[in-house]
Amino acid sequence: MNMLKVPLQIFRYKPGQTPGYDTFTVEIPATAHVIDAIDAVWTSHDHSLAFRRACHHSSCGSCAIRINGLEKLPCVTRVTDVWDGRSQVRLDPLRNFPIVSDLVVDRADFFRRMSAADMAMICEAEAFLPFTVDTFAVADLEPKLVELPENFSRFTRFEKCIECGICMSACPTMAADEKFLGPAGLAAIHQARKKTLDPVKVEHLLGLADGEHGVWRCHSAFECTEACPQAVDPAGKIMALRRELIARRFLKMLGK
Amino acid sequence: MPRIDDNWAKREGQNIVPHVLIIGAGSTGSAAAHDLAQRGLRVTVIERGEVAFGTTGRNHCLLHSGGRYCVTDPESGIECIEENMILRKIMPDLLELNDGLFVAITEADLVFKDRFLQGCAACHVPAREISVEHALAVEPFLNPKILAAIQVPDGVFEPFRFCLAFLATAQENGATIRTYSEVTDLLCAGKNVTGVRIRDQHTGKQEALKVDLVVNAAGPWAGEIAAKAGVGVPEIPTAGVMVALDCRLNNLVLNRLNKPSDGDIIVPQRATSVIGTTSWAVENPDLITIPPEHVDRMITQGQQLIPAVKKVPMRAKMAVARPLIARSGIAARELSRTFECFDHERDGTNGFVTITGGKTTTARAMAEKVSDMVCRKLDISAECRTRDTPLCSYRLFFQQRGSRNQSFVGAPGDRSSGRECFR
Amino acid sequence: MSTLNYRKLSRSGRWLDVRRRRLGMWAYVLNRITGLGLVVYLYLHLGVLSLLLRGPAAWDSFVAVARSPYVLALDVILLAGILIHGLNGLRIALTGFGIGVGAQKALFVVIMVISAVALWVAALKIFRV
Repeated sequence: MNMLKVPLQIFRYKPGQTPGYDTFTVEIPATAHVIDAIDAVWTSHDHSLAFRRACHHSSCGSCAIRINGLEKLPCVTRVTDVWDGRSQVRLDPLRNFPIVSDLVVDRADFFRRMSAADMAMICEAEAFLPFTVDTFAVADLEPKLVELPENFSRFTRFEKCIECGICMSACPTMAADEKFLGPAGLAAIHQARKKTLDPVKVEHLLGLADGEHGVWRCHSAFECTEACPQAVDPAGKIMALRRELIARRFLKMLGK
Repeated sequence: MPRIDDNWAKREGQNIVPHVLIIGAGSTGSAAAHDLAQRGLRVTVIERGEVAFGTTGRNHCLLHSGGRYCVTDPESGIECIEENMILRKIMPDLLELNDGLFVAITEADLVFKDRFLQGCAACHVPAREISVEHALAVEPFLNPKILAAIQVPDGVFEPFRFCLAFLATAQENGATIRTYSEVTDLLCAGKNVTGVRIRDQHTGKQEALKVDLVVNAAGPWAGEIAAKAGVGVPEIPTAGVMVALDCRLNNLVLNRLNKPSDGDIIVPQRATSVIGTTSWAVENPDLITIPPEHVDRMITQGQQLIPAVKKVPMRAKMAVARPLIARSGIAARELSRTFECFDHERDGTNGFVTITGGKTTTARAMAEKVSDMVCRKLDISAECRTRDTPLCSYRLFFQQRGSRNQSFVGAPGDRSSGRECFR
Repeated sequence: MSTLNYRKLSRSGRWLDVRRRRLGMWAYVLNRITGLGLVVYLYLHLGVLSLLLRGPAAWDSFVAVARSPYVLALDVILLAGILIHGLNGLRIALTGFGIGVGAQKALFVVIMVISAVALWVAALKIFRV
């Protein structure tokens, strides 16, 4: 097994202390992902390093951090993709979240936004396989139409969004407006609105989107869509909400 | 908030609610926290990392129908199907419910079919054979050479949110969940356990917590914890490797129609398909290196079920140790996946129980068993009601603990307000 | 729970942080800088025009300065600002209503190319080459 000695520069902060960086060098397999490197630091070097992880395959959204300044999920990022072989790999917590300690950020306000949107985590699945969030094109894997078994009215799957917070970190408006619902919140509102038939709930969701901290705060930086590891396209969803809001205003003006 | 047995309070002569401490916020610890908090006890959960930091986080995400175990391990099979049905009731919004298929690739698999169907019937696992054409229409990437297909009620969950849902409900009922707190020692009076010493990883400070009972739900680390009280737990941490692909190739869970072996399950989830798993005993569950030959074996075995596996890049790989209960003379692959409670009073150490073994699918049943034991030991009569209690929204877990209090008003009647969790 | 609030550290500067960001963010920052620049220019321009009130002598002396190559260079920069801000504004108006969101990066590249070409042609004319 080919092993690498990788130098990591990790952001450290404990309450009451000055924030700074610690450097560690870990020996890991060449095929390892960044989460394995962080785990190696925790197991063998410094057990007080606080970081998040759970599923190790981009389903839980727990581990999101910044690697060399860019928001990523370390569990699906190979070390060799972010290390040039010489310089240190820098690990920072997400931006725009209060930092609890080291790489762990406070997600309470984030989940308040997601609760306000109340998007159901389970949705109807598309009629085609394969289903992928990446843009890679696997040569001869053409999409194939799937037939439902007799006892099924539909297939279900988890929503693409894993609530990792990466889009919130990448968004410049999140930096400027503390109460901005954010790309994640607004994308969730869009998804929830699409799936609900209850007119009261629709009014409420569109009210949040149209509000002081809703879609009009977005200034089209599009960093959210660029950074999202699950191809949710929050920017596209924000613009879709805008279209709906404008259409409704128009219709109201025309007296409908 | 549910009342505990008034007799307990009178007997003790005080109005103090017993305090139980649970070590570990994986599926076992989370479900136990919910059960005990609902029964009215004061609950504290101590976890050294984030929720689902250990075994539960990296599991295969399979909501077992029990089909996998109905022939070789019927006790597990029965547990699985019962809990499968209960979880569909209490956390319906956290499950992909597309069923699963057991498919025969070889003649040997075909021979196994009758035993499989009999085993399912004996364990009350609903199973029906479907035609090969039908199976291929439903799963276009399935190996076209399959000889038989049987449909079972497998499902898919996501382990982090699974734990969060139980913990959020426990928090609503007054439980305290302390993450990033590592148990450094067990406090003892004589041979009995009276509490724990923990180090808060955020502040570096040590703290002593005196409680009425300690529940060891640390999974493969349960032995390490128990050793701090000088007692043993008969478990063998057994690691396994899983490989996640860059796209989802199946709707249903795909299983090999045969006895459990390596790489014979492909679990789809969101936009990935996860092939698993292998099995080898490890000394230290914190130091697991993923053997490259195991990764290769997952790809090779996966291709038997879905040939297109070889064309899809690998997205991630993970390995973690399961806590298997040791039985002398039995090899790792054949060890039962059932669970067990150990009351260490029988070892001379009171105030300490261990719950280990099992799988995430049966976490609620494990919690019921250990909570019954806890209540017996603390002389409380409080019934388990977790079979029928829908869990709170998992998002509440973080919201209840945050440092800031922004208000984003929820929609009228939305479940995230948490009020519906009270029973 | 005591937390470190990064917001307090460098809030005013954080929207400007383009390190490791992609084209969309560059467009966002450029739009703001050119916007600020144009506002400053607007006041300068009004101030300069007010010289007209002071009669031909004051105006003529200003025009003599305005002919100098340094000021002409500033005019080119001003034109760059107008082109970038204006064309990007069109891009934002389109994408802001959901038209061409998927092509936002390509649109930005096209805008910058058009701006560069137009600027080059204008610069040639301004300096009478």
